[in-house]
Amino acid sequence: MSRPFTILVAALGGEGGGVLADWLIEAAQHEGFPAQKTSIPGVSQRTGATTYYVEIYPEKGARPPAMALVPSPGGIDLMAASELVEAGRAMQNAFVTPERTTLVASTHRVYATAEKVFPTDGRYDAQRILDAAPKVAQKAVLFDMSRCAQEAGTVINAVLFGAIAGSGALPLAREACENAIRSAGKGAEASLRGFAAGFAQVLSTLPAGERALSPSPSPAGGRMEQAERVRREFPEALHALLEEAVVRLTDFQDAAYAALYLDRVRGVLAVDREAGGDAGGWRLTAEAARLLALWMSYEDVIRVADLKTRAGRFARVRKEAAAKDGQIVVVTDYLKPSAHEVADILPPAWAERLRRNAGPGRAVRLRSSDVSGFLALRLIAALKPLRRRSARFAEEQALIERWLGAIKRLGFAVLDRELALEIVQCALLVRGYGETWRRSRAAFVKILDELVENEQAVAKGADALKSAIRKAREAALVYEEAKQATAATGKPVIWMKTA
Amino acid sequence: MERSFKAEVAKLRLGAGHTFTGEGILAVTKALLQSGVSYVGGYQGAPVSHLMDVLADARELLDELGVHFESCANEAGACAMLGASINYPLRGAATWKSVVGTNVASDALSNLSSAGVVGGTLIVIGEDYGEGASIIQERSHSFAQKSQVWLLDPRPNLPSIVRMVEKGFQLSEASNTPVMLELRIRACHVTGSFETRDNVAPKYSRRNPVPKPVFSLERIPLPPHNYTQEKHKIAVRLPEALKFIQREQLNEFFEGELRQVGIVLQGGLYNTTIRALQQLGLADAWGASRIPLYVMNVTYPLVNEEITRFCSGKRAVLVVEEGQPAHIEEAINAILRRADINDPHLVGKDVLPVAGEYTGEVVLKGVGEFLRLIMPDGVDLKQVGSLLDGVEQAKKRAAELLGAPVPTRPPGFCVGCPERPVFTALKLIEKELGGIHISSDIGCHTFSTLPPFNLGNTVLGYGLSLAAASAIGPNFGKRVVTVMGDGGFWHQGLVTGVANAVFRNDDGVLVIMQNGYTSATGTQNIASSPDLRPEEGSPIAIENTLRGLGVKWLERVPNYQVADVADALRRAMTTDEKGLKVIIADGECMLERTRRERPVAVQKLAAGERVVRTRFGIDEDVCTGDRACIRLSGCPSLTIKDSPDPLRTEPVTTVNSGCVGCGLCGEAAHAAALCPSFHRIEVIQNPSGWDRFVHGVRQGVISLLGGAR
Repeated sequence: MSRPFTILVAALGGEGGGVLADWLIEAAQHEGFPAQKTSIPGVSQRTGATTYYVEIYPEKGARPPAMALVPSPGGIDLMAASELVEAGRAMQNAFVTPERTTLVASTHRVYATAEKVFPTDGRYDAQRILDAAPKVAQKAVLFDMSRCAQEAGTVINAVLFGAIAGSGALPLAREACENAIRSAGKGAEASLRGFAAGFAQVLSTLPAGERALSPSPSPAGGRMEQAERVRREFPEALHALLEEAVVRLTDFQDAAYAALYLDRVRGVLAVDREAGGDAGGWRLTAEAARLLALWMSYEDVIRVADLKTRAGRFARVRKEAAAKDGQIVVVTDYLKPSAHEVADILPPAWAERLRRNAGPGRAVRLRSSDVSGFLALRLIAALKPLRRRSARFAEEQALIERWLGAIKRLGFAVLDRELALEIVQCALLVRGYGETWRRSRAAFVKILDELVENEQAVAKGADALKSAIRKAREAALVYEEAKQATAATGKPVIWMKTA
Repeated sequence: MERSFKAEVAKLRLGAGHTFTGEGILAVTKALLQSGVSYVGGYQGAPVSHLMDVLADARELLDELGVHFESCANEAGACAMLGASINYPLRGAATWKSVVGTNVASDALSNLSSAGVVGGTLIVIGEDYGEGASIIQERSHSFAQKSQVWLLDPRPNLPSIVRMVEKGFQLSEASNTPVMLELRIRACHVTGSFETRDNVAPKYSRRNPVPKPVFSLERIPLPPHNYTQEKHKIAVRLPEALKFIQREQLNEFFEGELRQVGIVLQGGLYNTTIRALQQLGLADAWGASRIPLYVMNVTYPLVNEEITRFCSGKRAVLVVEEGQPAHIEEAINAILRRADINDPHLVGKDVLPVAGEYTGEVVLKGVGEFLRLIMPDGVDLKQVGSLLDGVEQAKKRAAELLGAPVPTRPPGFCVGCPERPVFTALKLIEKELGGIHISSDIGCHTFSTLPPFNLGNTVLGYGLSLAAASAIGPNFGKRVVTVMGDGGFWHQGLVTGVANAVFRNDDGVLVIMQNGYTSATGTQNIASSPDLRPEEGSPIAIENTLRGLGVKWLERVPNYQVADVADALRRAMTTDEKGLKVIIADGECMLERTRRERPVAVQKLAAGERVVRTRFGIDEDVCTGDRACIRLSGCPSLTIKDSPDPLRTEPVTTVNSGCVGCGLCGEAAHAAALCPSFHRIEVIQNPSGWDRFVHGVRQGVISLLGGAR
């Protein structure tokens, strides 16, 4: 061999990337190969992206060659990434090249802050990385190592090590790798399990690119009385969605409420049909139906109390907390009902009086796994039949009608489905709790007042109106903090060069 | 401390004929002991923290040898400590992170170098420059030049580094001058091995003290000796140093067949340069280069004779020098001109970037451009071109396929960090009172400047945040908030900040993050650490210190109680009382706390004892995904996932299994009246009989009420 075998490991702080690099060195030494590693721990270990660089000269007892401390673009034989975007970053920096790089990466995502702060969906399109990987790498081995590690009861670095060893690119025998883990001592057994799982997974992994991130959930088919009506009155493409919505709204209030929902959707369908919606797969109706269902099942305290005392909830919490059999789980809910929330479920006249003097609310830690806590929540949930007479119910229905009216009016007037869709999507703003909800809802009303129902704005034409609505909606969705997040290019810390 | 160094301490004991295997900075530590140091001190910081940490764990060995070790108050203290070698033949070493540490140390550094030393003095600086660096980017080279301290920049392999440590002490003594040894981040952490020698017990030490004082007025920087000291540096010390460097061949010449060209490089960049040459087909795996190399393991002072010898008769010479100003390149230009050697075309920062780290890519491109420019005989320029183009194309293609750059991922607060809730509270207070000017400091809390908080308007140095608020304070329409860590407080902030603010009766608000350690550097102890080592004396309470200084408005709040922190901030911002208002935000570093508590819990669990594990959760059917909680926290374990609700196409917020149950999300949900999705989950492991009984009863009743578990 005329040059060392080069390995770049990209990981996030706290994932054991350093231990993985140690294992690689130990395994190389076990084989009698000269090897070297280096890293840039610094502050990267505090949750940021970091890399470890290893070189191995795969010749037993060879005189140590001149090994580099920095990875070179186009000079990496094995690129290992413990997370998908880190694999993308490596590609971006030309550490994955078709001439020599085997890419071994986990497909799971750990979202960066910049992706998480957005109120809608700020996630990086992971599919792009999955698609690009087999094209830029000589060979790409991609699978969900996080899940694999969880199943094996270990940390991701062990699975990644197994996958590296199983990729066929590493010039180290499996036995040498396993011995390296063993000689590290602590936690060796779990690590060996993870290693074996990673190793085995490579052999059974589908060719990269054919794997989706995770299947999108398919609508559950709730069969209710309304289901019949759904099938009769709506195009087939909408059936699953509407059935789901009907189940939800019957559960939220009653069958009559679900029927009202279907009436409302029919109104939008009429616009859609008039504008030739079947050609577009009824996208307008589908989006309106989806958002309307969410809106009509708005989260008042009755709803929240109901959801928190569902039969399945404690089981879900147990599973999430990975509680084992025989262990007891105590759940304490953090609630802060203010006068606003109480007013919401009162009759309009009382509500107004209460809202006028609304204070900041009272912080409550309710132990809902206790009898008293559970009972309190159940009692609130039992107010469901009274909801129809509550202030917020009336307010929501009025605003919904305003919104639907605008969709229909402008939709029929100009027969522009895209315009109607813009108005539909404004309903994204009517959600959340407390101050966030109030602020967001006010933005929604403002869009109705100043654009959708404003004659001057409408007179400017469908295209101008469309773009004005979109701009206003997006502005309302991006909060100050998120704006700063996107503008944060003056990074005080360089964690990986993009240049 | 972040980790234990017991295994590494054993390596420090290795005697002659053994092989040390480990990382670069620990090899330096071993080399110090082999050089017979009497004392070692420093201030922690990446990438040299491990030097300090391992010695702190090696107390027994140090006692045997009589070596004094101390972690100093700051770098100025560490450098001043080297004063022991001015009058006495004591070898000593100090270490810190540079360039910031050298900045702090520079007063003492000037005085030390002016007075000169009789005992060998070595300053090990971790050059925190380039990828992974967390500080302002300047080079330490300038300090060596202006103070006339010799600067070593060894090739980054363990035998070279160790040799330069040992030779560094000799050079220091031969020229009565302190010596700096510069190691880049990756060199500190590079692994390798070297043949060890026996440790040497110092001549004078705690075991064999200096018998009597030496007084020499020539060592005092008063006129006329300050003048003579400067002249002595140039007339005597410099020539002695140059003689030593040449005699001991500290710099290295590597022959190559392509004699019409050559490369002059800093020792620290040797491996990167060799890799570039290898990629270009101009060097073999062992570094035998076709182009002659002059490797400067001593980058200051330059040896004129060596440079003129190397450059004479060449058509072109490339200087590979990282950082700016280009001290070396400019000096070589001047040296050649003075020697009337005008033939070689000197190339450097015209093909290489003036600023920034010399990464593999940068050096590859620079060497390639040099070859394209000079076109030496015997070099396949086509190969050079296709290699460079290949790299560009690979990047372009990846960028096209990805469509958009992947999101950046800067470091941030750890899961459960006690500092995060303070910024949550500050953000809430900002919503109430409007925008606040925040003077930030150095430490983990500097991450508050990043999203999602974006709190902190300036950073002026470690422990300097309060001083940095002194002019904006009176000129700003509202009280200014200063944030300082307890590390920064003891490093500098106590005197430069608090004492002076009290003295001037400044009307500001100071928040001291009391997490107990210098957490960002690896949780080393400070004067107020809760759990000091036996040799460290007793902790000094920050609160008492502040009261002693005359701070009257002083509150102490537990960090995780966001509403209480916000209340304290509100009071501090709105009180009529003038003068400095200090809030001690109290919460132990979660890394350190977990490190201490986890083994105990594991032990208890194994013994069948009752252990409660706490974490938080979000009801996925209650969450509407507005992310208000994430924007108030940024906790890595507070994240998003695909919504299980088929009607919601956007992700839902979730708490992942990394949660340590610090409680911030619940408290923030309360303090900011966010949403009712958050809940605390306590898992009772090994429940007692009583637990099981109560649980049974509850479960029974709740099932009756329709909430089957």
